[in-house]
Amino acid sequence: MNNMKNNKNMKNALKWAVVLAVVLCLPNIIRNDYWMVVFVRVLINIVLVLGLNLITGLIGQMNLGSAGIYALGAYSSALFVKNTGLSPWLGLLVAVVTGIVIGLVLGYPSLRLKGVYFSLTTIGFTQVVQIFLNNMTKVTGGSQGLKSIAPFSIFGFQFDSYIKSYYLYVAFVLIAIFCAVRIVNSKWGRLYRSLRDNSDAVEMSGINIADVKVKAFIAAAIFGTVAGAMYAHFYGYISPSTYTVDISMNFVLMLLVGGLGSVSGAMFGAVIVTILPELLRGLGNYYLITFYIIIFLGILFFPNGWVEAASRPIKKIIAKRKKEESASGEK
Amino acid sequence: MEKNSILKLTDVTKRFGGLLAVDALNIDVKEHSIHSLIGPNGAGKTTTVNLITGVLPVTSGTVEFMGQNVTGKKTYEIARLGIGRTFQNIKVFQTMTLLENIMVGGNQLTKMGLVRTILDFKGAAGEEKMLREKAESLLDKLGMYHLRNEYMKNLPYGRQKISEIARAMMTDPKLILLDEPAAGLNPSERAELVKVIQQSFEEGFTFFLIEHNMDVVMNLSDDITVLSFGKKIAAGTPAQIRDNDEVITAYLGSAFVKNKEQEGAE
Repeated sequence: MNNMKNNKNMKNALKWAVVLAVVLCLPNIIRNDYWMVVFVRVLINIVLVLGLNLITGLIGQMNLGSAGIYALGAYSSALFVKNTGLSPWLGLLVAVVTGIVIGLVLGYPSLRLKGVYFSLTTIGFTQVVQIFLNNMTKVTGGSQGLKSIAPFSIFGFQFDSYIKSYYLYVAFVLIAIFCAVRIVNSKWGRLYRSLRDNSDAVEMSGINIADVKVKAFIAAAIFGTVAGAMYAHFYGYISPSTYTVDISMNFVLMLLVGGLGSVSGAMFGAVIVTILPELLRGLGNYYLITFYIIIFLGILFFPNGWVEAASRPIKKIIAKRKKEESASGEK
Repeated sequence: MEKNSILKLTDVTKRFGGLLAVDALNIDVKEHSIHSLIGPNGAGKTTTVNLITGVLPVTSGTVEFMGQNVTGKKTYEIARLGIGRTFQNIKVFQTMTLLENIMVGGNQLTKMGLVRTILDFKGAAGEEKMLREKAESLLDKLGMYHLRNEYMKNLPYGRQKISEIARAMMTDPKLILLDEPAAGLNPSERAELVKVIQQSFEEGFTFFLIEHNMDVVMNLSDDITVLSFGKKIAAGTPAQIRDNDEVITAYLGSAFVKNKEQEGAE
């Protein structure tokens, strides 16, 4: 039994090591600025979607407020750094604090609102954020946005090129994956899934649902605001027009494509939904419609996500092999 | 020797607007006993359980659990004090395995917060191990260990009902409220359920049972309280309740009782 578990852990570690090796080698394989920008965007999206997965994937509440969270993360960090001249790392800390506040603001309505009512509230949140950013011209720069946002730096070493930023953001993503895996595979992940299935039974097990949900929203919002800060310090320019409800929908699409509730699904979904439109650009005016048709069919035929669909035949082979092994053992 | 009271309802009343659902109800559940609450449909039995567990606020009266007034407390606070519960309409986590379902019940016994769970590998693994071992030993006792990795949605209805009891037991309760546990079960599943309740009772649990199936009630109960239209019409041992005219009338109607009397006279 222990040997089987060790084998499984080894295989998992090997799989992740191969993925990491590919990710680290990517800038040397694809020497192209355009694709480097796309890859950095993938990394930023992975961080955000890992957070969204806690709320929409595990607890099952359709959060369409990701764009608002993303925007506030970007603006809080950028404004702090621009106004104080201090390090973007402190800006990142401000983004984390912003995430805690957003988590509280969005977490409490989630206790009273369910289904479509909650989704509408989160859409409203994004709209309010966008209107606020557009109209507080003196603070936010209005529709002109904020320019010349400093990139991250360590002891004078500036992450001011695409490749340098890429490697820094790989480190960010690794930390985000670590946190997400620890949450999803712990008693908290189990609790979130049980809340999705039946909150009455959870409460009768002595669990303070309000506390659990608000903490989940805080965690998710921190992932979102950190992603926002990553965006601001990579591009050096942010404006309210980036943070529309459309991109909130895209983040949900990433989850649906990868598979709700799983960390690898969230990551895979972020990769597909960010890269696929770029690969289809050759189709000219038809690239977006082709992209959405592929996504629509993908969700229709693989409702549990593409990762689960791809791993199904492998799981079948493993199950068959196990059955054969146990049969031969009995003989 | 007189047993101590574990749950005491004093003049508990619940009104829904003009409807009096529970009318000045007094119940005294003794420690280590099986106390049943019976009555026709709409008598207010599930409402009573909802009042005990804080799902519904009482209009007036008090609920005491182990000498502590729990009236007005939140559901999770009452559960933490030691009251477990199952539901009339089964409430399980369908997309999770049987083992995971039971482990959720033990969550309140753990201490680690979200941040510590992320950072403290050893502590989190220790808590997980404790929950898993406790849940597995519970499933072993209930004869469901071999089903631990099955998804709940794939289990038969009877097993799902018993898993609800197991989840309630996982919270380390002193008292378990069972809301129509035998409803929808076939005879063999019902026999298994009775066995589980009896076995758990012998281990020291106290049960407050709502049930329509009279075989189950009469075989298991130490005390029975009968409700009709929210009012207590009788209380006593199974033998006393079986012969109570008011109970027979409430269940079968006055016309039936009259006919029966006439048949007897002829």
